[in-house]
Amino acid sequence: MRLLPPAATSTVRLAVADFVHEWRVSACLVLALAAVLAPLLVLFGLKSGIVTTMRDRLLADPRNLEVMIVGSYRLEPSWFAALHSLPETGFLMPRTRSLAASLDLIGDNGRSLAGAEMVPSALGDPLLRTLAPPGGQDRILLSHSAAQQLGIRADASVTALVSRTLGGERQVRRLPLKVVGILPEAAFGRDAAFVSLDLLVATEDYRDGRDTPMAMAERPFSSARLFARSLDGVAILADRLRAQGMEVRTRADDIELVKAVDRTLGFIFAMVAGLAVGGYLLSLAASLWANVDRKRRELALMRLVGFPPLASLAFPAIQAGLIALSGATLSAGLAFGVAYVVNVSLAANLNREEFVCLLRAADLAIASGATLTLALIASTLGGYRAARIDPAESLRDI
Amino acid sequence: MAEPLLDINDLMCRRGGADGFTLAIDSLSVRRGEAVAVTGPSGCGKSTLLDVVGLVLRPLPQGRFCLAGHDVTALWSGGQDNELAKLRARTIGYVLQTGGLLPFLNVRDNIRLSRSLLGLPADRAGETRLIDTLAIGGLLDKKPAALSIGERQRVAIARALAHRPPLVLADEPTAALDPDHSVRVMQLLLALAAELGLGVVVVSHDWDLLTRFGLRRVEARPTGTLTRFAN
Repeated sequence: MRLLPPAATSTVRLAVADFVHEWRVSACLVLALAAVLAPLLVLFGLKSGIVTTMRDRLLADPRNLEVMIVGSYRLEPSWFAALHSLPETGFLMPRTRSLAASLDLIGDNGRSLAGAEMVPSALGDPLLRTLAPPGGQDRILLSHSAAQQLGIRADASVTALVSRTLGGERQVRRLPLKVVGILPEAAFGRDAAFVSLDLLVATEDYRDGRDTPMAMAERPFSSARLFARSLDGVAILADRLRAQGMEVRTRADDIELVKAVDRTLGFIFAMVAGLAVGGYLLSLAASLWANVDRKRRELALMRLVGFPPLASLAFPAIQAGLIALSGATLSAGLAFGVAYVVNVSLAANLNREEFVCLLRAADLAIASGATLTLALIASTLGGYRAARIDPAESLRDI
Repeated sequence: MAEPLLDINDLMCRRGGADGFTLAIDSLSVRRGEAVAVTGPSGCGKSTLLDVVGLVLRPLPQGRFCLAGHDVTALWSGGQDNELAKLRARTIGYVLQTGGLLPFLNVRDNIRLSRSLLGLPADRAGETRLIDTLAIGGLLDKKPAALSIGERQRVAIARALAHRPPLVLADEPTAALDPDHSVRVMQLLLALAAELGLGVVVVSHDWDLLTRFGLRRVEARPTGTLTRFAN
């Protein structure tokens, strides 16, 4: 069974045979392409490597994703539901008044810590990273500094003291708690206990003198812990909350810096690529055009022998395709080599899994596809000229 | 009597505008297996005649032009370039004065060019017969640039005949050769065509050579800017 008519396979065969026969000319065109494309790939690799590394470093610290809400508000369940449904929202946790959200801790060893901040947490809390959330009213995680002051490790037992003044009388409730984990130092700087929302709410109710708790579905909160899903989402969420009249803080400057670097490098890359690619395409088009001129007799003979008019048009296009594919393959090899050298020689400045020059397979595929498309477009000039060759020419000039 | 392979009556072709040149083919017919010589002085339009017969030059729409049962006038009027290319590929084999070979293919692939273009199965026996007769067996892996002119003409004959086209057009096939080679090449061409039952139209200014082979002669009669051809 034939996939293509014999005229088409014959045309491809002849174009390839001529490409191989004139290997010096072909090599020049392929090398010229690689001379343009390989540096562009390296440049693009540097751009993605630098931007990706900066982004990864930002993402490595989840606090960069945080949208901090400053002050106290009255946030209804509907507000939480609306915010939760946004695609930019990564983690959302209600929070009580900060005055009510602290407790004193006493370890089994007798050491104590006064006024530890209570941070409500749950599954998906970016600050916990791989640690499991508290998972129950009697379980907490401690920040690194809190654990150090208490001199305890994970799995220790502590007692929390929650005090209130009710009707002029000071009352204290003691809660036995189990420390199920301790956050690394980088994750949270202050003395804090990561607790379940239930414990936080119960504490607030106790301090406010409410003995029957309000149903969670109706309860308003005064603040929230909010983390965006991605760096790009931080500004979107912050703007949204600001539009509601809330005061928020983010590490937007750091994120904006990465975006500015991305934009600037992208712009520089586009300019350099535009110049280089534009120049190369013109030279390729001229070369293919000149090639058709040199091969007038052969192309006319092909037409005389009975190749269809389309074959003349396809001849330079097939060769342009061969040049594009060979050139792209060679460029990818060269660029990978350079990227390897750059990454190895600059490895001292990098963490593991970080790159200065990052070439992704998808980027290479796009570059090859674009090269192929543009080369085919460049070949149309020569193809147009070839298609106008009169088969009788092969009978004439000697 | 069977219909002739090529049958042209009252066909005209004009080249080069108002003060150009006009070719009139009053009658030209070639039967299968028959060889015809077109002769006349240089520049009288013999090559133009071959362009018209070879389906690369468009004649005026009047007149009759039949080739292997196809109405060529109608194909030209219909602008059917692809059909003309197909008809050319199937029914005509060209032997040119020089060249006629693709420089990027070796001799073997040049000989197989038309068969592969037409999608015909390989014909080992026929190919071997051609190669042996033309004595080009030692050249098969060479590219045309490595051949002498005489060798190239013999390869060009093999290339033109390999797909058994019913009509072979030869345009001064021996002009670039010395007299000894000329006789040999012409002899081979005509002998092979006769053996395969192919019609041949040879254009040549060398009537002395053609008389040796006893070809039927079609002579150009140039008068000013008009040249007439008739059987």
